[in-house]
Amino acid sequence: MSSTFDQVATIIAETCDIPRDTITPDSHAIDDLGIDSLDFLDIAFAIDKAFGIKLPLEKWTQEVNDGKATTEQYFVLKNLCARIDELVAAKGASA
Amino acid sequence: MHLEYFQMIDRILDLNTVEKKITVEAHVPAQSTIFEGHFPGYPIMPGVLLIESMAQTSGWLLVALMNFQRMPFLAAVKEAKMRGFVSPGETLTIDAGLVHEGSGYAITEAKIRVGGKLRSNSTLTFSHVPFPNPDLRGHMDAVAKRIGFPQQALQT
Repeated sequence: MSSTFDQVATIIAETCDIPRDTITPDSHAIDDLGIDSLDFLDIAFAIDKAFGIKLPLEKWTQEVNDGKATTEQYFVLKNLCARIDELVAAKGASA
Repeated sequence: MHLEYFQMIDRILDLNTVEKKITVEAHVPAQSTIFEGHFPGYPIMPGVLLIESMAQTSGWLLVALMNFQRMPFLAAVKEAKMRGFVSPGETLTIDAGLVHEGSGYAITEAKIRVGGKLRSNSTLTFSHVPFPNPDLRGHMDAVAKRIGFPQQALQT
């Protein structure tokens, strides 16, 4: 998780020009870091490439819109990193 | 091309859903109100319309890859270079290829050539959603027919 967080934080810092030291595992990408949906596409692209996965952004957005999930579950960085680790593990298991 | 109506593509020359590439042709009209202002006495295609041409080319590739179920919308122009002027009367060959297929978004790279020489290129990001209404779907069906969209490219 720490390694995943470091990678994700670096991606966010470089993609959105946010000082790296302001990004913590408890940062909410939208509420705390001010990342909008378009910038998040760039982040998703970089994460997809770096981890060899496909972040299910549409599914997550739908769940939030339907009230089945909160944005914290997907966009607080420690939670996002946990999802990434799950996707990487699932990919490894199916390979 | 019919610039005033943003009809940038005349016909699809090749659409390969396996390699995820498309090639289209577009003939720049000899006359257009666009050229009256851009520029008087020195008509050239505006760079934004070259970007739009690359976006529409990419868009048709994405429409095919998504089996004509979703509509791509241009979300970001990551890098665009205008490498040479495009003049009235010239014929453009526009290639686009898929770089990344994400969840609800896609990234393409596109190039415009005239007589084999590169005039413009860009990296484009699209968000895509199910067709928002029947009117837009109907419009896209009509354009697909006009530009020779190969229906056999769609998965049945």
